[in-house]
Amino acid sequence: MSHWTPELLSPAGSLEKLKVSVLYGADAVYLGGQKFDLRQASDNFTYEELTEGVEFAHSHGSKVYVVLNSFLHDKDLEELPEFLGLLEELKVDAVIVSDLGVISTIQKHSKLVVHLSTQASCLNVESAKLWQKMGAHRIVLGREVTIKEAAKIKKATGLEIEMFVHGSMCMSYSGNCVISNYTQGRDSNRGGCAHSCRFEYSIDFKNESKESKKAYFMSSKDLEGIRMLPEFIEAGIDSLKVEGRNKSHHYAGTISKVYSEALRYYRGHGNFLSSDMISWEEELRKVSHRDYTTGSLDIYAGDDSIYNNREQDDNEFVVSGIVLEASVGKHLLVDVKSAFHPGDILEVMPFKGQTEKLKVDFLRSLSGVSLEKSKPGSVVKIPYIPGAEKFNIIRKRAV
Amino acid sequence: MKLVTYIENFEELEKLIALDCKTPIEIIVGATPLTRYSKTSLEEMLRLTGIAKKNNIDVVLEWDALNQEEKFLNSCDVIDRLPLHEFKAIRVQDPGAVEYIKNKYPWLKIQLILENGNHNLIGLNKWCEYLGEQCERLVLSNELSREMLRGYAKVLKTPIEILVFGRILLFYSPRKLLSPLEKKNIEVKSLEAYGSSEESPHSGFPLIENTHGTFMFNVKDLYLLDHLDELREMGILHTRVDLRFDESFNNYSEAVMNLFSGTVSENELPFKKIHPRPLIKGFYNINKTDVLFTKLKNKRTQRQDVNYIGEIVDVERDVQLALMIKSDMFDRSLIHEIRMITPEGKEKVVQLSWIKSSVGEEVHSAMKNDLVLIPYTNGITVKTQVYLNSKNS
Repeated sequence: MSHWTPELLSPAGSLEKLKVSVLYGADAVYLGGQKFDLRQASDNFTYEELTEGVEFAHSHGSKVYVVLNSFLHDKDLEELPEFLGLLEELKVDAVIVSDLGVISTIQKHSKLVVHLSTQASCLNVESAKLWQKMGAHRIVLGREVTIKEAAKIKKATGLEIEMFVHGSMCMSYSGNCVISNYTQGRDSNRGGCAHSCRFEYSIDFKNESKESKKAYFMSSKDLEGIRMLPEFIEAGIDSLKVEGRNKSHHYAGTISKVYSEALRYYRGHGNFLSSDMISWEEELRKVSHRDYTTGSLDIYAGDDSIYNNREQDDNEFVVSGIVLEASVGKHLLVDVKSAFHPGDILEVMPFKGQTEKLKVDFLRSLSGVSLEKSKPGSVVKIPYIPGAEKFNIIRKRAV
Repeated sequence: MKLVTYIENFEELEKLIALDCKTPIEIIVGATPLTRYSKTSLEEMLRLTGIAKKNNIDVVLEWDALNQEEKFLNSCDVIDRLPLHEFKAIRVQDPGAVEYIKNKYPWLKIQLILENGNHNLIGLNKWCEYLGEQCERLVLSNELSREMLRGYAKVLKTPIEILVFGRILLFYSPRKLLSPLEKKNIEVKSLEAYGSSEESPHSGFPLIENTHGTFMFNVKDLYLLDHLDELREMGILHTRVDLRFDESFNNYSEAVMNLFSGTVSENELPFKKIHPRPLIKGFYNINKTDVLFTKLKNKRTQRQDVNYIGEIVDVERDVQLALMIKSDMFDRSLIHEIRMITPEGKEKVVQLSWIKSSVGEEVHSAMKNDLVLIPYTNGITVKTQVYLNSKNS
């Protein structure tokens, strides 16, 4: 007997990351085109990449949602209908939208399914009812909403409900922060967020003559919801979203793998009483992250959800590369992301199951020249290990 | 032109009445359970409303806090206990509040706050259509430029309102972010502070923490009082002056009333010189907050799809280049010349004398996602995009 679980929705910041997310277990991916979304610094997808991405995802049984969640100005909207036509031709599964003008334009020019973006900060039953009347088929709730509240919203509206389960969090109500607009001249709600909330600030309290207090007071810890999966399932939440289109292949692959394995376990057993729970949590600590919190999933986020620390890159593991080709019994061709040396012990992350250790017995260039060190931005040959496949992530414990 | 402003206490209301402004005035009142920055109790708010009405001043209730379901239900309880018929209208932002008022109090006029986003006419029209006659006014974003406002005022049947003087809200979080720094272990109702960051070109962002969360404002306040005639000519007949902070009501209200009454001109306003923060026009003249986007990523490393073949993923100096095929098929018999564009924008056109597989065997074609080796070309780096030279096509 298979127990019901929510959809796992992973980020796809580029075509390659889409493939990584899908192969590591995402039931659906979300991505942006060259315009209309909130990640202008991300690679995003050209039309040809979108075509290939949709074909790839659909052929692996995964859905594709295209993000159109900018607060668009009139001139931006003029270009939207043509893009909607392309999305319909490609048979994308839904579009994610936050602006009522965009929703109206979609309804006028297409039959695309509309998911309301978290950017619209839908926080309560009445709000969900309004957006339902406006044409939303699914609501991506604000990250301030608890799972219990989400269950009420689902019950009262019958709408599909999507919640964030993992990743970075805005400290502000989404769509209600314009710091970048006024301080950097970049519209945060059209993709130009400068992440000013991650800065250190010195705070001077009014009517106090004491020294300034320095703090990263607006920087939120990252969301981690793996221990809340039973509550998500009990509440009937339809989709669990992983934040992070700007994040690495390692992140997209690892988070997709961990959550998909946990959900697969539940489908088979009807519980999460797996000895793997500890190792799943350990895996989540191997990717780049700030300290974790459960945010508002259980109770409204409190003081302990504030990161109050500088942005740092002291990961337990670093990505060594991505497998480009696996020549059975001979070698792996690896697109190098960070340097490693002959003799190093690497880990190959298969799409399913335990990671495999790989000793770098040889390290060669494509023409066969032995190398003393791999160079990021190059392709090298290393020993083959059984089970390794194209798009597997190879990583190394950080020194 | 109607002056819209906030009243928070009896002292302010008495002063307003005494000023006997000749221009129509509408006051916004709020109370702590419903309104973002209000320190007014419900009882005090109702008494203020009664006095204002006796003095023939229009009173509008503000319910602008954003609320998750549990808090939202509490707010609805508060709303249900208020004598709503005493108010000319209610101002709401949360779509949940909009829906609640629309369904439960269809006779109560709504002033819809659309200050975050809502930067297109299609959306604004949709809001008006949804609320119909119940929508008395649209309160628009201060990110809209003069030209956008002019266009909207011309077309929209529902009157619009904009802020012409006051703080610019930058950030609204439900989390309490200042009190953890205080560590006094006592529940504080409200905290005020200023924040500065070395990573930001600006310093002294006003901060407020209260029961609704934490708010951050711009270091410069919006000032469009010198554009009142222009706004009137554009058809914007409701302009809001926010004097809730920095003792502004005490210091400026008389001058503002005089300006709106036409007894002084804008350049005679005394408070511009003593205002504690710089004044700006925001995006009124022009909004170009999307022009920097093109600099956020290197467009040259993004493929242009016409004649696209793939991307260079490895360079072995004087030996070969490794090309990842990203088009459907790569057939050497059809391709004699390729055009390569480096991340720095350099272009090179070269002839293909050979193609080899990744294990060094000569091949004549390759499929999508194959890695092939091609002759080395000086100056080509990783991430170079490769195209069929258009002469071949």
